[in-house]
Amino acid sequence: MAQTGMNPRLRRQVLTLQVLTPVVLVILWELIARSGLLYEGVVPTILEVASAFWNEVSSPELYHHFGVTLMELFGGFTIATLIGVVTGIALGSRPFVSSVADPFLSSLATTPKIIFLPVVMLIFGIGPESKVALGALGGFFPIALSTMSGTLNVRPVLVDVGKALNLTRWQMLVKIYLPSLVGPIIRGMRLGLGVTIIAILLGEIKLSNAGLGFLAIEYYNTFHIASMYSILIIIFLTALSINAVMSYISQRFDRA
Amino acid sequence: MTATLEVRNVSKTFESDNGDRIQALAPANLGVKQGEFLSIIGPSGCGKSTLFNIIGGMIPPDSGEVIVNGVSVSGPHKDIGMVFQEESTFPWRTVLDNVAFSLEVAGMEKKERLEKARHFVELVGLTGFEHHFPHQLSGGMRQRTAIARTLASEPRILLMDEPFGALDEQTRLLLGDKLLKICDALKQTTMLITHNITEAVQLSDRVAVMSYRPGTIMRTIDIELPRPRDSELISTDKFAAYVGQIWEDLRTEADRGMKAVGEA
Repeated sequence: MAQTGMNPRLRRQVLTLQVLTPVVLVILWELIARSGLLYEGVVPTILEVASAFWNEVSSPELYHHFGVTLMELFGGFTIATLIGVVTGIALGSRPFVSSVADPFLSSLATTPKIIFLPVVMLIFGIGPESKVALGALGGFFPIALSTMSGTLNVRPVLVDVGKALNLTRWQMLVKIYLPSLVGPIIRGMRLGLGVTIIAILLGEIKLSNAGLGFLAIEYYNTFHIASMYSILIIIFLTALSINAVMSYISQRFDRA
Repeated sequence: MTATLEVRNVSKTFESDNGDRIQALAPANLGVKQGEFLSIIGPSGCGKSTLFNIIGGMIPPDSGEVIVNGVSVSGPHKDIGMVFQEESTFPWRTVLDNVAFSLEVAGMEKKERLEKARHFVELVGLTGFEHHFPHQLSGGMRQRTAIARTLASEPRILLMDEPFGALDEQTRLLLGDKLLKICDALKQTTMLITHNITEAVQLSDRVAVMSYRPGTIMRTIDIELPRPRDSELISTDKFAAYVGQIWEDLRTEADRGMKAVGEA
């Protein structure tokens, strides 16, 4: 996106290039597809992808899979957020405990969550439950870490204001800690959402019976490459819209 | 709505990170009369803030007691309203909601508390800024918001720790004028911690001078300047005499403080 504060001529140039880039990429794709240099099964023409895309969006089957993925995403992300925020505050409000927990959390946070897939499958089976669990596990760490460091950094003087007024523990949490943590929590959620999406799609692709990831890999296995591309485009557009909503939320509420 | 405050034999020793024991306060005694404005002045590191935190009930003393209206208190007390040195407004609340905070947590109904908060916003001269957020205000305006927030809970004793410490001298003098007007209006018992001699003389009925660590009250000086006052006082001879007298007392202590931290 063109930055505000840029001079108008420069901004116009940036915008023009931003619009031109995908157009050029699409033309390049079409040229390569028609050149015969690559096997046509791997790079179908735009027309083929477009018609597959149309077939997809007009079939009720897509919406079933789309719904499954969205539900998994919603479930996994909600669990990640709730448990992440509670854990983050619980650890962050006790500096001693948080310094003990920090290396464990940080190292687990950077571990690819896909390695837990077998365990999660053993516990939850191959249905949506295991994807929810894997998504929750992925999103949990960035949210917990960000909330924890936010809690450790709540300004002591604001806590003192609460103490001086004899606030109850609940009032302290709701009136002082949570409002101070809006920024860190939202920043953690943005990071966590990305990880949740990846974990859920990986789970679906690896072993499942429904969802957009499952559909994409099904088309791959049955060599419906144009249809596979159209599912990838749908996934891409979905991720884009979710991120746009998240950006809006963070701009609206994160005043830091 | 005023009260007396007494500090009796209060002492405090801290342990530093390398295990040294630092006596911040030697047994300190001090009384504040009903409706009186008392300033405590002392060099850096004399335990002023420690005394502030003990009186406010934020930390317990090792010995001695804090007595409000003849009753010994421990922990934060609703009769004592604290204004902190550091910027303490809530950045997510507007000026009005900041000021209404203490009323809100006390469970006062919304309409009533906003009405009351408006009164205190007016008292500190922030009318017109009710719906501004702290980041849209100057440092002086933020500190006035914090003062109004404390006043709104109608504490019987107002306890302030260098509330204007982070502000420039001119703003400080003007805010001093505002504070004089507020005190005249509320007839509040007030204790102000400061390291600024001008500020102490400008505002106080009485100034207590503290020694360098371990801090104790060396003596108190009555400031017999007429009220109502304003900052024009600082050009009078009497004002200068008080400033000189306090500096005389403070000088050796400030010098000891500087030597202790290796600046002289």
